[in-house]
Amino acid sequence: MANLPVEVIAFASAADAMSLLATRQPALLFLDIIMPEKDGLTFLQELRASALHQDTVIVILSSKDYAQDRQTAASHGVAAFLPKPVSSEALRQAVMNFAQLPADGTA
Amino acid sequence: MSVLSVRFWGVRGSHASPLSTHLGVGGNTSCVEIRAGNTLVVCDGGTGLIPLGENLLKQDELRELLVLFTHYHWDHICGLPFFVPAFLPKWNLKFFGPGQTAAEIERHLSNQMKAPYFPVETETWMANIQYLEPSPAGLTYGPMQIRYQSVHHPGVTYGYRVSVGGKSVVYVSDNEVDYLHSSIAQRAGEFSAEDQSAMADIAQEERAADLDFIRGADVLIHDAQYTPDDYILKRGWGHSCYIDTVNFAIDAGVKVLYLFHHDPAHDDARIAEIHRHSLQIISERRSSLECTIAREGMVVTL
Repeated sequence: MANLPVEVIAFASAADAMSLLATRQPALLFLDIIMPEKDGLTFLQELRASALHQDTVIVILSSKDYAQDRQTAASHGVAAFLPKPVSSEALRQAVMNFAQLPADGTA
Repeated sequence: MSVLSVRFWGVRGSHASPLSTHLGVGGNTSCVEIRAGNTLVVCDGGTGLIPLGENLLKQDELRELLVLFTHYHWDHICGLPFFVPAFLPKWNLKFFGPGQTAAEIERHLSNQMKAPYFPVETETWMANIQYLEPSPAGLTYGPMQIRYQSVHHPGVTYGYRVSVGGKSVVYVSDNEVDYLHSSIAQRAGEFSAEDQSAMADIAQEERAADLDFIRGADVLIHDAQYTPDDYILKRGWGHSCYIDTVNFAIDAGVKVLYLFHHDPAHDDARIAEIHRHSLQIISERRSSLECTIAREGMVVTL
C-alpha cells in the first residue's frame, strides 16, 4: 500500500475495529473471516445492520475459501472475495478498483 | 477438585457408519461428554447424543447440562431430535453454538425439527431450554471456563477449549489445518520472491494464532478425517489430513491427541493404519505427544 494515496489502519481485535467504525466509514474495508473474538462473517452482518455501513465497500481477504462463505459474504454485498494468498499487486488493484477515494486522492 | 473426565459417544464424521467393519472404532457421529463432578458439558449433538440421553435417564443425580455445538451441519445436530431429556420436564438444558444472538442459535437448532423433516417441533420439548447469548470473552459453566474460536471449515464453525482446575480439554471436530500453507505452496509460481516472503510471514502468523488456541492442552480432540490420498481429492472440504493434525498437535505441545471425526469410509483396519503412521511421525519427530484413536465408549480421566 506504500505507493497508494491511502491511510491504512489495522486492528488486532474485532472490538477495536467496531469501536472506530461506530463513527467512521472507511473508503474500503478489508475483512478476514477467522479472527480473534469474532468471526468475520458475523462481523460483516453486524456491520451491515448499522445505518452508517449499509454501503461501506468491503473486500473479504481470508484463507477460508468455501463456496458457502462466499455466498454469505455476497448476500451482504461485499465488493470482492479474495482468497489468500493474495499478491501485493492484487491488493493494489483492489484498492484502486474498489476504494471510494475522495477527489483530492487521499482517504 | 472434581475429577475431569471425557467420554466419547460418537466419533465419526459426515454420517453414521453402523457397519460391522467399523464398530471397533464406532459408528455414531460427533458427540463428546466432558464432566467435572456433576457439571456436564456435551460437545456436539450427532447421533452419539442419542445413547448419551438414554444413559442420563438411568440416573437421577444430574438434571442439567450444556451442549456446545461447533456448527450446524447434520452430523453434529441430528441426534438432538432424539435426545429424550429434552422431552421431559425437570431437565434444564443449555445450548450454545455459532450465531449472532441466542435467538439465532435457537433458529438454527429448531429448523431441523419442522415439517416435513420431523414429526414434532421443539415446542414439544418439556425441558427448560435456554439458548446462551454469544460471549466473545468466553463462557463460565460451573467450574468450567469455556473459550471458543472460529476454525477453518465451511460456514461459521467453532472450536472449544474447556478448562477446569488447571486442566484443559480442546475439542476441534472439524478443521482444515494448514490450508493457507498448502494454498501458497500450490500457487508459489504466481508470486514474486518478495510476495512469497510476505505470504510465508502471514501463514506463520495465522498458524501461530491457531496453535495458541490448543497450546499445552492436556487433551486435544481433533479432526483427522483424511488420509493423504483422500486429501488430494478433498482438499478444501474443511477437514484435515491426519498427518497435518499430528504435526499441529506436536507443535502446540499438546499432551494427548485423540484422532477424531473419522471418515465413514474408513473401516477399523484403515484407522489402525492411520494410528500406526501417526505414532511413527511422533517417534521420528522425537516428540512426547501421546496419540490415540478416539473410539466410541472410551472414557478418559484427567
